[in-house]
Amino acid sequence: MFEIGIMHFVVLSVVVFAAGICTLLTKRNAIGILIGIELIMNAAGINFVAYNRYVWGGGEAGSLIDGQIFTIFIIVLAAAEAAIALAIFLNFYNTFSSIDVERADEMKG
Amino acid sequence: MAPQQAELILTLLGMATLLPLASAFIMIILTRRVMFKAAGWFATAVMAGSFVCALVSLVTWLGVPEADRRGLSLLKSIPWIPIPSTEAGHLYLGILVDNLTIAMMAMVTLISLLVHLYSIGYMNGDKRYNRFFAYLSLFTFSMLGIVISNSIMQMFVFWELVGLTSYLLIGFWFEKRGPQLACKKAFVMNRIGDAGFLIGFGILFYQLGGKLLLPAAGGASGMVEGQVVTMFDAIKTLIEQDGHSITNPPLWLTAAGIGLFFGAIGKSAQFPLHTWLPDAMEGPTPVSSIVHSATMVAAGVYLTGRIYPILTPAAHVFVAVIGLITLVIAACMALVMTDIKRVLAYSTLSQLGYMILGLGAGAYAFALFHLVTHAFFKCCLFQCSGSVINAAHHEQDMRQYGGLGKKLPVTMACYLVCTLAIAGASIPWTEFGISGFYSKDGIIAGTVSYGHALHDTFGAAANLFWLAPTVVAYITVFYMARSFALTFLGKPRNQKLFDHAHEAPWTMCVPQIVLAAMAILTAPFLMGFWQSLIVASEPQVAWIQGADHLAHGHAMHTTHVYLLNGLAWIIMLAAGIILYIPGMKFSSKIAAIPGINLLYTWAYNKFYFDALYDTFVVGLGKLISMIAAVFDKYIVDGIVNLVGLLGKAAAFLIGAFDIHLIDGSVNAAAAAAHSSGGLLRATHAGRVRGYVLIFFASAVLVVLAVVTTVMVFGA
Repeated sequence: MFEIGIMHFVVLSVVVFAAGICTLLTKRNAIGILIGIELIMNAAGINFVAYNRYVWGGGEAGSLIDGQIFTIFIIVLAAAEAAIALAIFLNFYNTFSSIDVERADEMKG
Repeated sequence: MAPQQAELILTLLGMATLLPLASAFIMIILTRRVMFKAAGWFATAVMAGSFVCALVSLVTWLGVPEADRRGLSLLKSIPWIPIPSTEAGHLYLGILVDNLTIAMMAMVTLISLLVHLYSIGYMNGDKRYNRFFAYLSLFTFSMLGIVISNSIMQMFVFWELVGLTSYLLIGFWFEKRGPQLACKKAFVMNRIGDAGFLIGFGILFYQLGGKLLLPAAGGASGMVEGQVVTMFDAIKTLIEQDGHSITNPPLWLTAAGIGLFFGAIGKSAQFPLHTWLPDAMEGPTPVSSIVHSATMVAAGVYLTGRIYPILTPAAHVFVAVIGLITLVIAACMALVMTDIKRVLAYSTLSQLGYMILGLGAGAYAFALFHLVTHAFFKCCLFQCSGSVINAAHHEQDMRQYGGLGKKLPVTMACYLVCTLAIAGASIPWTEFGISGFYSKDGIIAGTVSYGHALHDTFGAAANLFWLAPTVVAYITVFYMARSFALTFLGKPRNQKLFDHAHEAPWTMCVPQIVLAAMAILTAPFLMGFWQSLIVASEPQVAWIQGADHLAHGHAMHTTHVYLLNGLAWIIMLAAGIILYIPGMKFSSKIAAIPGINLLYTWAYNKFYFDALYDTFVVGLGKLISMIAAVFDKYIVDGIVNLVGLLGKAAAFLIGAFDIHLIDGSVNAAAAAAHSSGGLLRATHAGRVRGYVLIFFASAVLVVLAVVTTVMVFGA
């Protein structure tokens, strides 16, 4: 019978990660890039939870929840990061009247 | 002599010597503000103290019976410089007192005292008034040091001090060109003589092993401390060991005697080093009066008198010939000079020639007697000339004078007395005269017997030894009469100068009067006293000499010398005065006669000695220094420059190594870093997406590399 295994989670995670990377590579809008980063982080979070369940021993028999804790940290981190990033974007907007990241090239080599 | 008396004399003479030194130091230390006006009287008072010390010791000395005093010398010496390699072990420092010392001390301190007193008037208003007295006292100290020295070494130290202080005094008005040159000339001329002194000293030091003590010959008696073997004893022992004697001497003894005498030639301004003395007239007149009488020129004669016993017969001839040449040429020059001080300067040279000739000819006692009599009358003559120059507002040319006797009666009287003294005036056909008569005639008498003694060796030329001084005695009277007549008699030739002339202040007149009195008194009244001093030291000098012509000298004196010189002063004095009362009118006609005019020109130009020395000695010196300069410039500098160039080249190579190799490698590293930085810089394009792409691609590559590695090499 069809049972959901680790491979499904990994594939999902890869898809989400790839979507995040693509967003990063294609978006010039700073908010879009922030969303891409969010996707990459969540891909990592899916991986943590999946590996905790199937590899680390957090299944029916086990009681380890290290993966979940990591994931919660990642979510918290993402929230904090979003706050800082939005603040940066506000300043960025004040300076350039735009949030197009291509404009931020004053320190290029 | 009782030990207390000896102690007293030694102490007093030590004090007499050191007092002027102390006063000089006090005057130098206490500056202008404290001691300026008082300096003259202070120095004079100290000199008076010094004179009193000398006088008391003279009286004490005369208190000893004459028989005991013959050959007596007091000696106090302390070890000075240790010389372990010699027999004596030390050079000694100390005081020697004998007849000659006592007489010289009294004479020098008296004349110095009078010159100090005279200077108070003469130097009044000078801006370095106090310094003058400091120098004068120092000068006196140096001379007194020579007189009491008990070894040649110690004498040399004071000898050099005399040279130094005379340099300071002659160049006292150093702002003017004349004194600058004169003091240098005096110093350099003296150096030449001193070189001879050092050679003679060196020979004696080497031969005698440092036994250089100088008591009168015959050994010391009285109070002696320390080394007892005297120089003369040592020489006698040494030459007799080798089978020599003083009449058959070893060569080194003659050389040492002549070497030491060269010192005297320099200091006493004998031919050929005589040219400094007339130039020394550039100093203040009191300096001339002391240099020409008691101190500097006396030092040379005194030294010759001290070394008299070691002079061998050959050295005696040398000394006599030098004196002879000097007295003749100096008298000729004195005849034609028109500067009053120069006439006196050449007269001094001539009289010093007499003394040196006398010492050479064996008239020891009379030569040293002449030193003393001459000191008094020549000092007086110079002071008189100073008064005249002062009165004439520093005009020294006698052609501008004339008739000054009316304005300067005291000076004229003193000048006349001293002219008579230098002329050797006496009552004809009797034994009575004034000072120069006794001393100069004594010398001439000595030369007469010396001429006879040398007749076998030199033939008829030996007669020159007595003929020349006799003729020059006439010339002496003549030129002194000339200067007297030109200055004081006749009509004023420069009315303006005559109107302003005035007699000198009393501080200048008193020394003149005292000196003139001494010039009269020295001989007739002090002759006996003198005989008991200098003449008494003669036998002890003659011990080594073996010559008995001194006795002849006395005999001769009583016969024809009186006749010869008894009339000289009357004839020539009258001739000189009559000829020169109208000024130079007649004499210039005489000087224009062919033949005489040539001699006149020669004498007027000082026989071209200065020109000769300028051309040959100074010229040679200049040539040598030019060669040395060329050598320096091209060879020494060339070598130095070459070394510099080599250094420069080496530095250039090292610099190139630094710039190209060391700096190059550093620069290359920097350039590599720079270019690689340039390459990497291109990736920092400022596009966030580009960074993400690189980052992601790199991550993929790393993962691929890890996976490939694991697959190839296994887990």
